[in-house]
Amino acid sequence: MLKRLNPLTVLAVCLVWILATTLVFRAPFQLAAILLFAAMLLASRAVSPLAFLGLMVPFALFGFGFFTTNVLFRQENAAAVAVFSADLARSDALGAGLVLFLRALAGGTISIFFAFSIDPGALVRAAMAYGRLPPRIAYSLFAAMQIVPDLAAKANQLRLAEAMRRGRGLRRVPGPGELFRLLIPLIAFAIRRAGRTAIAMEARGFDAGRARTILDVPGFCRRDAAFAAVLAACLALCLAL
Amino acid sequence: MRWTLRETLIIAVLGAVFAVLYLAWVQLWLVAQAAFGAISMDVFMGFWFIASMVAAAIVRKPGVAFGAEVLAAAVQILLGSPAGLLLIVTGMVQGAGAELVFALTRWRSYSLPVLMAAGVGAAVFSFAYTWVRFDYGALEPGLIVTMFVLRCLSGALLGGLLGHAIVQALYRTGVLHGLRIDEDRRAGRA
Amino acid sequence: MPEGPAGAPGPAAEWRGVSIAFPHAGRAAVGPVSLALARGERVLLLGPSGSGKSSLLLALTGLVPHSVPATVEGETFILGAPSASRPPAGWSDAVAHYFQDADQVLCGMRVKDEIAFSGENRGLAPEAIEARVKEVSALLGLPADWLGRRSLALSGGERQLVALAAVLAQDAPILIADEPTAHLSPEVAARLHALLASTAPCDAVLVVDHRLDGMIEAMDRVVVLGRSGTVLAQGAPRAIFRAHHAALVREGVWRPAASDLDACLIAAGLTLPHPPLTMEEALAALPRSEAARAGVASFLGRRLPPPRTAPSGPPVARLRGADCAPFLAPAVLHGVDIGVRGGEVLALLGRNGAGKSTLGASLAGLLRLKAGRREGPPGAIALQHAEDHFATGCVRDEIAAMLPRAMDGGDRQAAINAAIEAYGLSGLEDRHPFTLSEGQKRRLSLAAIDAADRWPLIVLDEPTAGLDAAGVDGLALRIEALRAKGRALVLITHDMDFALRLCDRAALLGGGRLLAEGPARDLLLDAGLMGECGLGEPAGAPALRWLEGRC
Ligand SMILES: Nc1ncnc2c1ncn2[C@@H]1O[C@H](COP(=O)(O)OP(=O)(O)OP(=O)(O)O)[C@@H](O)[C@H]1O
Ligand SMILES: Nc1ncnc2c1ncn2[C@@H]1O[C@H](COP(=O)(O)OP(=O)(O)OP(=O)(O)O)[C@@H](O)[C@H]1O
Ligand SMILES: [Mg+2]
Ligand SMILES: [Mg+2]
Repeated sequence: MLKRLNPLTVLAVCLVWILATTLVFRAPFQLAAILLFAAMLLASRAVSPLAFLGLMVPFALFGFGFFTTNVLFRQENAAAVAVFSADLARSDALGAGLVLFLRALAGGTISIFFAFSIDPGALVRAAMAYGRLPPRIAYSLFAAMQIVPDLAAKANQLRLAEAMRRGRGLRRVPGPGELFRLLIPLIAFAIRRAGRTAIAMEARGFDAGRARTILDVPGFCRRDAAFAAVLAACLALCLAL
Repeated sequence: MRWTLRETLIIAVLGAVFAVLYLAWVQLWLVAQAAFGAISMDVFMGFWFIASMVAAAIVRKPGVAFGAEVLAAAVQILLGSPAGLLLIVTGMVQGAGAELVFALTRWRSYSLPVLMAAGVGAAVFSFAYTWVRFDYGALEPGLIVTMFVLRCLSGALLGGLLGHAIVQALYRTGVLHGLRIDEDRRAGRA
Repeated sequence: MPEGPAGAPGPAAEWRGVSIAFPHAGRAAVGPVSLALARGERVLLLGPSGSGKSSLLLALTGLVPHSVPATVEGETFILGAPSASRPPAGWSDAVAHYFQDADQVLCGMRVKDEIAFSGENRGLAPEAIEARVKEVSALLGLPADWLGRRSLALSGGERQLVALAAVLAQDAPILIADEPTAHLSPEVAARLHALLASTAPCDAVLVVDHRLDGMIEAMDRVVVLGRSGTVLAQGAPRAIFRAHHAALVREGVWRPAASDLDACLIAAGLTLPHPPLTMEEALAALPRSEAARAGVASFLGRRLPPPRTAPSGPPVARLRGADCAPFLAPAVLHGVDIGVRGGEVLALLGRNGAGKSTLGASLAGLLRLKAGRREGPPGAIALQHAEDHFATGCVRDEIAAMLPRAMDGGDRQAAINAAIEAYGLSGLEDRHPFTLSEGQKRRLSLAAIDAADRWPLIVLDEPTAGLDAAGVDGLALRIEALRAKGRALVLITHDMDFALRLCDRAALLGGGRLLAEGPARDLLLDAGLMGECGLGEPAGAPALRWLEGRC
């Protein structure tokens, strides 16, 4: 359902909400943001609840870092975040830590929501069509996003070759030494892929200085307006309470 | 000095690779942050500049250091970084710091000292940025100096030195064939 | 049609005295070559591996030296205009180029975006592009549900098919196709051959390919490059293959099966009045004479080995009730029970995307099973995409890296040199693996595994793709040697003649499971079964029927 929205609408809405979570230092507001976006994400069935929890782990760690820092080193951090909110300067150590923790979770939830509710290709197309993003940059960004899953596959391939060389089965989780040895071949792979892609794109007439057609540009429709309006209303409501 | 299509793509994929590494590094940092507090950020910071150094040393054209860092930030956001959308600003600031140093050499020299200096440049810029963002003015001067020195060191070592080592290793794999770095090496320049 | 030079007279594409030297190489890799491709003409370019076919094709639009560093002498012309007059990207509406490696064609987008890409670059109307995508998909028989898949998460053959679709969608008057069928199953290859022969998607076609049966009839002219990188012979297919048969064999260049039969018949004292191009043609013209029998028997001698006693004993490795899945993907094969014994060669056959590579890697113990279990020590696999092996800076190191660490200096050198010799890589020891030609890459990946020979089980995934005739003969010898040493071998291939020549047992995959398993000869010569699985019969099969008097 969400995939049918224009990615730019989703981007704008997410940006506004992230800005709001940065500025509003109240635990209930952060909580509301988390619940709202988590609910939308789970309702769209883009990820299973379990996968969602897994994805939240790094954000929780991140937030927990803020939490402990605040409880332990209150002096520095109270001032540190005070620029953004007068509320915080007045709050106690535990409360401030909690808000910061929740803010990290809220930022995470919104980012995950964004990542799962847009098609990166569509975003690039929309950015080219409406944002006048030059095709060269757009396709480079696109190539950059495309290569991420291939990095995983390539890393697996390299590990496979290594396992073969050593004549034993593949270990489930690579050790730190193994990860380090993968680094250079992976970067080399990425650079080689980039060179190849450049030739492939040139051979099919990319960059020949002609006007390009952009196929499948996501349009704006009433659904986008409704989505933006509902989320703006939610934001107003949360701010008012 | 326009980037060719190949170069643009290389900068982009380098941004992507380092975005993944940055995200992994974030996890390490978070553990340290939870254990040792805010100062660990300064120690860890240098690694987040490395995309600039590596891309600039390979492509050797104006704007590369800045572009690579911004792209890395963009990809991190798309992958879902804990830092959220503000990361783009962070990337721009850090990239600008490194770019400034390369600009001072008129984009001619990419030797180890220059790369380390670029790391320091990025560190200085990012320090100024965090100063504004987290209101460092309110902190004890002694702590500020320690943080600043640590961050510059981190920029020079984790950004410049490690970046240099990675570029050397990449050069040996032969994938940099036909790029500016290759022309320079064959012409006997650093 | 491109603007400007389209109406100009002269050949569609022309190479005038072109020679190409790669940086830091002592001599030119190819050339000087002069060659013209007339409008409406279909030309087949043949030559041994490494003779410079791909390089020559890349020089046409200027990708060599524009994007691949090299020194090029001579000039190329496209539709009468010197190709240097535009950047390579500017020729995309005149020349559609299928690169030898499908991964070099694809940009990593969704399948639909790949096919639509050239239309977008030309600025065509969106409806026109959509129509073109549909048309090309129908032409090549791409299933509709592929359009949304990522092009790089497909099987080797599927990828090749998508790459071909992306190239054909360019709708250019000149088609350059470098080994377009290397990874295609016989059924799909036949579809492509028919396409090349039909009213032609293009005005002029230049094909480099190793799989000649089924295509050769449609070709107007054959041009053969020699090892030296110059034109050895050219002319109409019929004349070329009879007049130069011995030279082609010597150079290790592929011939149609009928041409080999013709040579055997001539050796047996029977010269058909008309040199044959296809087996049907040859067999229909054969008298039922003693000489004919002797000729056909000698032809079959190399293609149909006498039955061996099947090795007995427990399997080296086996899967029980296995669900096999590609990396990070759901299972594509279910409930597979299969084992392979020492001293046995097992063929894995099936359509593109049937799951052969997945099963091969699972058998070698290199992919985790989704269900069921695997018994036996880990094995090795020579990957379908040879490049995926390469991790070092030169050919010699690539082989050395596979050898056991414990091996001492002298033995090590000897093993490396022997492998380089056996796989025809002499002179390339210090070259970077990624600068090799496709056939050389394939041989290097096989040589490294063969030299180490540390595994009781070896899986070879499409080992003949990209090899010339001499390379395939050499590989067959190496496989025989490994078999004699008691290794268990699994051979994944679309080359039915190669499978028939080497394999003891065959397994057919299809519909997500193991369809049939049995003696290779029984399965491969069962035309009905092979047809059902999207495979063709080996070229030797009609000859065998003729000999047995069944036709
Ligand atoms: N980029 C390169 N740098 C150096 N040498 C190269 C490069 N590309 C090709 N060569 C060499 O040039 C020769 C011709 O290569 P090319 O790929 O044109 O051969 P080919 O006839 O297409 O062979 P194959 O049938 O194996 O594909 C080979 O010896 C190859 O190793
Ligand atoms: N990385 C991947 N992600 C998702 N699906 C994949 C991936 N690789 C292969 N597949 C799918 O799994 C199935 C089996 O692939 P596999 O590579 O085993 O086929 P194959 O029999 O070797 O085909 P080919 O003859 O074309 O090489 C195919 O349908 C393919 O689309
Ligand atoms: Mg070739
Ligand atoms: Mg396969």
